[in-house]
Amino acid sequence: MDGAQVTPGQTAGLYTGAAVLRLAIATLLPALPDLLTGRVEISTPVTSFKRLQEGLFLYNHNVSPYDGGVYHQAPLLLPLFSLLPSFTTLPIFTYLLYIAVDLLSASALWRIADSGEAGSSALFSSPRRTKRWSGFVIAAVFLFNPFTVATCLGRSTSVFTTYAILHAIAKAVSGAPFGAMAALSFASYLSMYPLLLLPPLVLLSYDRQRPERAIRSVAKFAAICTATVAGILAILFQMSYFLTGSWEFLPSTYGVQLTLSDLTPNVGLWWYFFIEMFDSFRSFFLAVFWLHLSSYVGGLTVRIRRQPLVVLTLLLGILAIFKPYPSIGDTALFFALVPLYRHVFPLMRYTFVSAAVILYATCLGPAFYHLWIYAGSGNANFFYAITLVWNLGLSLLVCDLMFAVLRDEWEVERPEMVGKEARQI
Amino acid sequence: MPRLLASALQLRRDPRILKLPPYLSLLCIIVGVAWLFLLPLDQYSRRTYISENALLPGQVHTYFSGSDQNVFRAYKHEVNELVNKSNAEINDKLEPIVKDIGLKTARQNFTYRAAGHTYSGENLYAILQAPRGDATEAIVLVAAWENVKHEVNKNGIPLALTLLRYFKRWSLWSKDIILLITPDSIAGPQAWVDAYHDAHNPSHVASLPLKSGLLQGAIAIDYAQERRFESVHIVYDGVNGQLPNLDLINSIVNIAGGQMGIGVALQEMWRHNNGYSDRLRTMLRGMLKQGLGLASGAHSSFIPYHVDAVTLRPFGEGWQDEMAMGRVIEGSFRSLNNLLEHLHQSFFFYLLMQRERFVSIGTYLPSAMLVAANFTIMAIALWVKSGQPAEDASPNTKSETPSSTAAPPTTAERDLFLPLGVVALIQSLSIIPLYLFNHAPEGFLTPLFFTFAILNTLLPPALSQLLTTLPRSPTSEHQYNLIKSFSLLLLGMFLSTLATLNFSLALITGLLASPLTFLQPYKTPGARIAATVLLKTISPTAVLLAAATYWGTDVASVLKEGAVAWHICGTYSPVVVWCVWWPAWVATGVVVLGGRGNNRRAKAKTT
Repeated sequence: MDGAQVTPGQTAGLYTGAAVLRLAIATLLPALPDLLTGRVEISTPVTSFKRLQEGLFLYNHNVSPYDGGVYHQAPLLLPLFSLLPSFTTLPIFTYLLYIAVDLLSASALWRIADSGEAGSSALFSSPRRTKRWSGFVIAAVFLFNPFTVATCLGRSTSVFTTYAILHAIAKAVSGAPFGAMAALSFASYLSMYPLLLLPPLVLLSYDRQRPERAIRSVAKFAAICTATVAGILAILFQMSYFLTGSWEFLPSTYGVQLTLSDLTPNVGLWWYFFIEMFDSFRSFFLAVFWLHLSSYVGGLTVRIRRQPLVVLTLLLGILAIFKPYPSIGDTALFFALVPLYRHVFPLMRYTFVSAAVILYATCLGPAFYHLWIYAGSGNANFFYAITLVWNLGLSLLVCDLMFAVLRDEWEVERPEMVGKEARQI
Repeated sequence: MPRLLASALQLRRDPRILKLPPYLSLLCIIVGVAWLFLLPLDQYSRRTYISENALLPGQVHTYFSGSDQNVFRAYKHEVNELVNKSNAEINDKLEPIVKDIGLKTARQNFTYRAAGHTYSGENLYAILQAPRGDATEAIVLVAAWENVKHEVNKNGIPLALTLLRYFKRWSLWSKDIILLITPDSIAGPQAWVDAYHDAHNPSHVASLPLKSGLLQGAIAIDYAQERRFESVHIVYDGVNGQLPNLDLINSIVNIAGGQMGIGVALQEMWRHNNGYSDRLRTMLRGMLKQGLGLASGAHSSFIPYHVDAVTLRPFGEGWQDEMAMGRVIEGSFRSLNNLLEHLHQSFFFYLLMQRERFVSIGTYLPSAMLVAANFTIMAIALWVKSGQPAEDASPNTKSETPSSTAAPPTTAERDLFLPLGVVALIQSLSIIPLYLFNHAPEGFLTPLFFTFAILNTLLPPALSQLLTTLPRSPTSEHQYNLIKSFSLLLLGMFLSTLATLNFSLALITGLLASPLTFLQPYKTPGARIAATVLLKTISPTAVLLAAATYWGTDVASVLKEGAVAWHICGTYSPVVVWCVWWPAWVATGVVVLGGRGNNRRAKAKTT
């Protein structure tokens, strides 16, 4: 299993198995996808499929989809979904689209895993890199992760962002900087937050350039990449403008993320804080929260310069905790990349604790939400408390992974310290 | 601080630490149970009190008496004519009577299928529009034709009709009053309340043609007794162990006991001396009912919709007549009518041990949490243990340690795939009994149960045999530890989640599963046989059989009850038994029996 060759039959089997599982759940338990679509853990205001249908209805009736303040997603999703047969009559096509996107994500992940970037980047090779899982295992872990399956069945539009991000990374490790930047532009266009991944992705693309047409200067390369992203985003915005006929979509999509005007509960940390907030402090704390979120980018990119893929993984984990509208789909993306670091798993210290905390929160979250919303015997604090626990578990995992990677680097620099207990001084 | 941390890290390496968890687990269980037995003491329980000031129970004079008694007799005469008639005939007769009172009436059909039986009927209901209200809120008076024991509600139906006629004369109602007459006490109210909240399945349950506002409370009358009565029995358990707001019970206790001088009993404790043993018995009965999660009366279906409801049942030989019962209900309705907002002030999680003593969730929850924590403690201990290099250093387990040996030397690499796979397999197998027992017709239940019980006995040995004959490396002791660790972790996790939803069910399941913590692969044959026997006696099937025998019923009727509750009310107790408890039991069985195969193989290697 560790690095063994995979036959095409096994590949096909994996993809077919994942697709059949999703289709079987959707057809045998037709009530389940609708239940999942309504769950706040899966559908946030900026990714909800129900809201997408609302926007689609308005769009198909020549009303601005942003009227009514329900739809907060990118305008270009609308023509895509209006091309599909209506969900109410032929839901199978929608499911097939989502399953295809999941499979594409898995294949991008497979390419990332097979590149070996996680174990040995351009500037650093881990002495443990031989112990790793093949792309087959990593794709399987992603495809059969219950969070991924639930997000796919819940038809959250975050799967498109997930695919765009994974595709961008896969392009970057295979030495195609333009493709990476284009994919990242799409991801940013859909959800905005992937723009924060630009610095590490630029470095990853720079490290992985094909030697025959490499650009030596980092500054020049970064400038070209940034210009590419800006250019593609400008084109996408212009297309959106032509599509909807106004710039109204900017405040309704990105503005909502920036100002958190929709306070629907989710698994993140923002909603409760801003419900409790006095209006006079709101803008100040919005700035603080966003500053906090973006401050990780610079620090991590500089500190772990030698392994840009690690920076991307850790950032995705941090974003799944601290972004304004996180869902378990974002966690699934982070969990997809974590198995790439199989070689540093022995260095991680709290795997059991963080796994147990995340499992506990997964069980208790829906129970407390039920007590709050349906049974009426609990209140909002119940659910918020459990999202705190959930994020504690995730941040424990992020920190632990970061510790393991840094320790791995450190042991190369200081071979005499191998195997010694780390101690806080 | 750093020094403290360093010494804590030193302590972590101490082998004595690893000996501790089983005792810690045992301590958790003992403290959890002892905690429960402390609750009835005066120091730990509290006196009840009315939190919601708007209720003002017992502050109004009740006028239901005098000439209304003649009306009651007339209605009773009509109702007595209808005994043993069909549901449709009864409704055909009752509907004009209700219409004559001056109320709008409507009917609703429902059909449920469960355990090979069909439960169908027709609900009749009427709405008294509030003279001072705007139809945004309503209170429900439920009178089922039959109570849960299938006795005809001979006095309850006429009393409900008389009360509605009497209420119609008053101009003080600010909430609509709905009279609901159902053919039975479980399916009828469930169908009606589902349809009222548009949560019904239209193919089984018809929609309601007539609706009022948000339901604020419901009181069901179960008055089948013909004689004069002495006291009132308040039944308050909802489906899945949910309870109505304590203020509602307190108000009725206050009105019946304080104002009318009628005794009040709870949990079928007909005589209650307020001593320790009676309090404990009341509490334990309440917990058992809550844990089973079945509907205990016509009120039960209302509680999941956050409508506080109770059933009132007169009992005993006394001198109270129907009019006294009517005045209790009148007083309660007057209190509910005073409500400015939904009952929310008082407790939703409580254990009552006497009509005026209770414990709230903060006091009793630790006992269930401690029992659930014992599994988690043991899971963590087994995880730590599985990470330590094997003491006997058998060559086949050595291959699992990392080749680079770069990891801290005290933690061996764990092979997680096999244990995770086994636990996932057992967990997914649990769908089978859940589906079978909930969908088999009643006649098949007994043979099905015994077939399943035999297969169930054979399953752990078969699985452990399968594990020892795996083509790849044989299952090591560490992997058995991991299987048990994961299954206990899941068990602890499910139970602590369940404790927030249904405390009693979590506690009962936790106690029944608690021996699983301590069972491990034993070295000596005597201990192994003892462990196997113990394992068989605490299996879910054996416990189910024993419980059925203890209560003097057969297994089939228990299973049927479970299936009916599952299909009609959505009781999730079967899920807990088959998908939480059963997999943990099977996993422990695999571990206990698996150690043997492993030893045998190791012995074969050494010889």
